Amino acid sequence: MGKAEVEKKGGANHLAGWEEVFYGLVKAVELIFSGDPDVVQITILSLRVSGLATLIGGALGIPLGALVALRTFRGKTLVVSVINTLMGLPPVLVGLVYYILLSSTGPLGFLRLLYTPEAMILAQLTMVLPIAAGVTISSVSTIDPKLREVAVSLGANPLQETAILLWEARVGLLTALVVGFGAAISEVGAIMIVGGNLLGYTRALTTAIVLLTNQGEFVEAIALGIILLTLAFLVNAILTLLQMRSRSSLFAQIYTREPRLKW
Amino acid sequence: MVNVYKLFGGRQVLKNICLDVRRGEILSIIGPSGAGKTTLLKLMDLLLHPDRGKIFFDGVDTDVDEKRRRLLRREMGMVFQHPALFDTTVFNNVALGLRIRGYPAEEIRKRVEGALSYVGLRGFAKRKVLSLSAGEAQRVSLARALVLEPKLLLLDEPTANLDPANVLQIEETVRRVNLEKGVTVVIATHNLLQAKRLSHRVAFLWMGELVEVGETREVFENPRSERTALYLSGKVVY
Amino acid sequence: MVVAAILTASIVFSTTNPTSTTRSRLVIATTTSTVDSGLLDYLKPYFDKRFDADMTWLYLGTGQAIAVASRGDADILLVHDREKEDAFLASGNGTHRATVMYNDFVIIGPANDPANIRGAGGAVEAFKRIAEAGRSGKTLFVSRGDNSGTHALEMKIWSAAGLDPRERGWYMEAGQGMSSTIRISSEKQAYTLSDRGTWVKLKSALGEALRLQILFEGDKTLLNPYGLILLNPVKYPKINSELAEKFFLFMVSKEGQRLIESYRVAGEQIFFPAFGKAEDIGLPSEEEEVRYWIKRLSENGLEPPPWVKQR
Repeated sequence: MGKAEVEKKGGANHLAGWEEVFYGLVKAVELIFSGDPDVVQITILSLRVSGLATLIGGALGIPLGALVALRTFRGKTLVVSVINTLMGLPPVLVGLVYYILLSSTGPLGFLRLLYTPEAMILAQLTMVLPIAAGVTISSVSTIDPKLREVAVSLGANPLQETAILLWEARVGLLTALVVGFGAAISEVGAIMIVGGNLLGYTRALTTAIVLLTNQGEFVEAIALGIILLTLAFLVNAILTLLQMRSRSSLFAQIYTREPRLKW
Repeated sequence: MVNVYKLFGGRQVLKNICLDVRRGEILSIIGPSGAGKTTLLKLMDLLLHPDRGKIFFDGVDTDVDEKRRRLLRREMGMVFQHPALFDTTVFNNVALGLRIRGYPAEEIRKRVEGALSYVGLRGFAKRKVLSLSAGEAQRVSLARALVLEPKLLLLDEPTANLDPANVLQIEETVRRVNLEKGVTVVIATHNLLQAKRLSHRVAFLWMGELVEVGETREVFENPRSERTALYLSGKVVY
Repeated sequence: MVVAAILTASIVFSTTNPTSTTRSRLVIATTTSTVDSGLLDYLKPYFDKRFDADMTWLYLGTGQAIAVASRGDADILLVHDREKEDAFLASGNGTHRATVMYNDFVIIGPANDPANIRGAGGAVEAFKRIAEAGRSGKTLFVSRGDNSGTHALEMKIWSAAGLDPRERGWYMEAGQGMSSTIRISSEKQAYTLSDRGTWVKLKSALGEALRLQILFEGDKTLLNPYGLILLNPVKYPKINSELAEKFFLFMVSKEGQRLIESYRVAGEQIFFPAFGKAEDIGLPSEEEEVRYWIKRLSENGLEPPPWVKQR
């Protein structure tokens, strides 16, 4: 993809800015519908890496957040602050740390994980986990404490109680996952460092865009960018749909004349 | 077996409570706001531990480990002042207690529908909780407690925020469940007329202390304590 | 409030730094290999002082460097991919081009040399041996895979060997710069083609952590000439064409060529002056160009390098 065209072009003409975006759009449609195997492979890898990272990060982060939110213990404020800080971890830093750990001369080198998709998943889930935990903490903490009492008075054990409250906070948690996914799929620094951008193995949409840009192939780069945006948009659309559904009764209240609740 | 509660001492909010609840009766706890009614009910529901003294439920000492308290709690149902329903359907809210106990789906369905009919909300199962009126919501809350077929029903100012029609509706349901199923009811209220209408016995709680306990008629017509008399006549008591 | 005011003021002042407005700035579009070698850092103080200028450069892939130059986002172009350079001139984007220097490439790989290229007769044969070892599962090759000058040279060698290594299991395309590609090769204990400058620099920085060695070098096919291209001032009126020409003069002058020759990395000479020496390294003659610049040099009071005979 792209190499033959570069040989032909030889770097002569350039297009004005907007033309490139337009041709990028055209090219994106072309690439998607022609099923260009490289593009398909790259897209699937991006989805796989970021998807798994979000799921695993969420599966670990959400229970952690619930635990922190529902228990009182010494140093709770400190833990919450740490988690909030980690939410803003710079991806390149995460990538660098994992690189040092996983490199053959590093402590975890024997795992031979460097330059594999698994390393990319590791790096990204490290970024998603604090996001999931942090949002869970804030969503669960803002649940009406009376609901907690209700759960207990109904005879729930701590595990059941946590499950009930997590379900109650589900919109917030879902948002956390979608935000986490959005951050993961548009991330480039960490996966470039620990993945190596190897064609067919660890090349994702974002790292491919970097490469195409380096090669001066701006039209193709924009095309991939459009594919990336579309993916992010689709995931967000699903969230918005789910959010609307749980609020639909609220809308119905406002726009019809059903009596408003006072509690 | 008699439902017996004996509390000596209690939290700072409550002092030297020594109260007997008789099986099958409706007992009202009256008194001004802040007197400690909610705390008393929470103690009965085993949501709180007394600082001193003991609570007995059906002859069983409740000062045991959390697991056993949970089992005891499952024999009681509590309705709070605010419905505190979960953001989902009416069915799911009422079914929650049953699901916690692990009842099979078919059984749950039958019981929930039964409970909803009992409180006059037949057909409301699929409604979303956010679309209910205040009265409907509180009735769901009641159904949620009743569906568990508790031996003891605790109500903390259940009709405080409702219009008269809903108040009577709920009172009617409480009376029914007491008569038809023999459920013991303890209701905290600052609505004196409600206490008079509903209860067999009345306990007057003031500033954390149990000032007087007795048959409803007795207390209302011949209060033994001066404070009780003042409170009943509508004057604010300090 | 006060803190915000101080911060804003300091930002404003730093961007209107007085020194940068009095000196003329030169922006060179060049490749990652060139920058990584450190040559430009070495030349900068001399050029800056001589012409009272501020020499800066962009760190790009070859393809991007050319794209940037053709948009007029740089003042001058320095790359090492002859085909692309010629196309650039043919399109009229560039007016003058000269070969100013060359460096060489080396084939690096794991110390145990599974493909046994140490004794190969030439770069092409070395590549053939690597392909064979790759096919029998003994080794891997990591390519830049980014259409850079380095990559272009690599592909030329494969094609001369009659091979197309793409989409073979033993051939990986990193799609990154030279340092990253070398590090990947080290992790995977694979072969790769690198310019000597980047290799020496990385090796002296990482030492034992870089588990590779030079296994083949010295073939003429591994020579890598650099072309300096002047952008068309008519087509790009906004560029600093005056200073660009001065840089060109500097690079082909006696002083510039000598500096190029004297540059060392970890004690090794990396670049070799090549102005006026095109035929010597197997390139087509650049007589006309050389004559033009000799004239321009004397007009500017500069000396041509000694090996350029008076034509």
